[in-house]
Amino acid sequence: MSYIKTEALCKDFGDLKVLKDVNLTVEQGEVIVIIGPSGAGKSTFLRSLNTLETITSGKIFIEDELFVHAEKGKVIGGMSKEKHKALLLEMGMVFQRFNLFPHLSVRDNVKIAPIKVKNMDPEAADKLALELLAKVGLSDKADAYPNNLSGGQQQRVAIARALAMEPKIMLFDEPTSALDPELVGEVLNVMKDLAKQGMTMICVTHEMGFAREVADRVVFMYDGVILEEGTPAEMFENPKTDKAKQFLNSVL
Amino acid sequence: MDALNKIITWMPQLLNGAKMTIIITILSVAIGLVLSLFLALGKMSKNPIINKPCSAYIFFFRGTPLLMQIYFIYFGLPQFNPALTIKSAFVAAMIAYTLNSAAYLAENIRAGIQSIDKGQNEAAKALGMTYGQTMRYIIIPQTVRRLIPPVGNEFIMVLKDVSLVAIIGLSDLTKVTRAISSSSATALVYIPAMIIYLIITAVFSFIFNRLEKKYSVYE
Repeated sequence: MSYIKTEALCKDFGDLKVLKDVNLTVEQGEVIVIIGPSGAGKSTFLRSLNTLETITSGKIFIEDELFVHAEKGKVIGGMSKEKHKALLLEMGMVFQRFNLFPHLSVRDNVKIAPIKVKNMDPEAADKLALELLAKVGLSDKADAYPNNLSGGQQQRVAIARALAMEPKIMLFDEPTSALDPELVGEVLNVMKDLAKQGMTMICVTHEMGFAREVADRVVFMYDGVILEEGTPAEMFENPKTDKAKQFLNSVL
Repeated sequence: MDALNKIITWMPQLLNGAKMTIIITILSVAIGLVLSLFLALGKMSKNPIINKPCSAYIFFFRGTPLLMQIYFIYFGLPQFNPALTIKSAFVAAMIAYTLNSAAYLAENIRAGIQSIDKGQNEAAKALGMTYGQTMRYIIIPQTVRRLIPPVGNEFIMVLKDVSLVAIIGLSDLTKVTRAISSSSATALVYIPAMIIYLIITAVFSFIFNRLEKKYSVYE
């Protein structure tokens, strides 16, 4: 059973067609890395999965159940609202610009959603927050505010915050693109650990080393479509399309 | 020393006027602030049944003179419908100042909310928060600090606008000052009166500066 599957997913912004019939299947526990030039629709695709963007047409399935079905810019079907909301909570997202809540301490950033959204007992949520902060190596920063942390630290908090909702899948939207080069490694290491623990992940990234090492499958997007997909070895050693060759030449 | 003695004898009356001025200012801005939050959220609503009336309200109260609004509420409404008669001039003034400052504050709150990075909304949504939870726990707490300077400004504006209440017979600091000036046939009383205004303004400014510092800890 696939965890998430898209069928003929399209997204327009006005006259601009950003996604044109994207079909992708992600298995449970799989790590997918989406690569491609800017403007290829990678981020939009990721944001469509957790409904931050409303798709123009197409279907999204989660665990083989119809999650979203849209035609002509209108959601026309899917599952019950409760089920939809529950599945949405199982998707964690990490953003390029971290988007931590600046008015809350690190600890509160991590525990606010479990408390307010899942009605978790505040003490249990606090314990969970500290465990997760330990996992991302930031136990000593629990009471700091986000603006006092480096970019890499902030992104690790953002990962802990997403994990606090106990997601079944993590979506990473260029998680290291806003970081200084020397801070990229610490974030990638946390992501690698997650992948090792069997988390289902879809990562949009320009970190080819990460893709090579961690991805089960690399997906190359170009101009709103998936042009090519394959194992990292296939993708990096032997790309089939000219566009993929050009792109890989320019980034490797 | 004669002048000083005069000022001392006027002081109880002046302070009484100042009390009226301060009470109307604080109450109307405080109540107006609550009202303005709903107006701001209403104006940002995508539903025209909600946003149109809120926009119209703000347009009306910012677009007509406060003096006319006071007249209208106190003298005008009863003529349209006797049930709308407001017997107490104080209550009428409170209503006018509250409704008026709500309109101004609503625009500040809306600007404050819209100045928050949209990534905050997205992060909250991705964590499963509803619109209400996002506003309450994420967006509004962040706008509070940004709202302190404009709210402080509104306080100081209203403080001086309260001098208009004389027209419906209330004795605020300005009214009292004018009365003393005409009965004592000297303009001397304006000096302590203006000093009292400045002291009140200074105290408000001080409080708002402190609040701003307090809420800046995370920035």
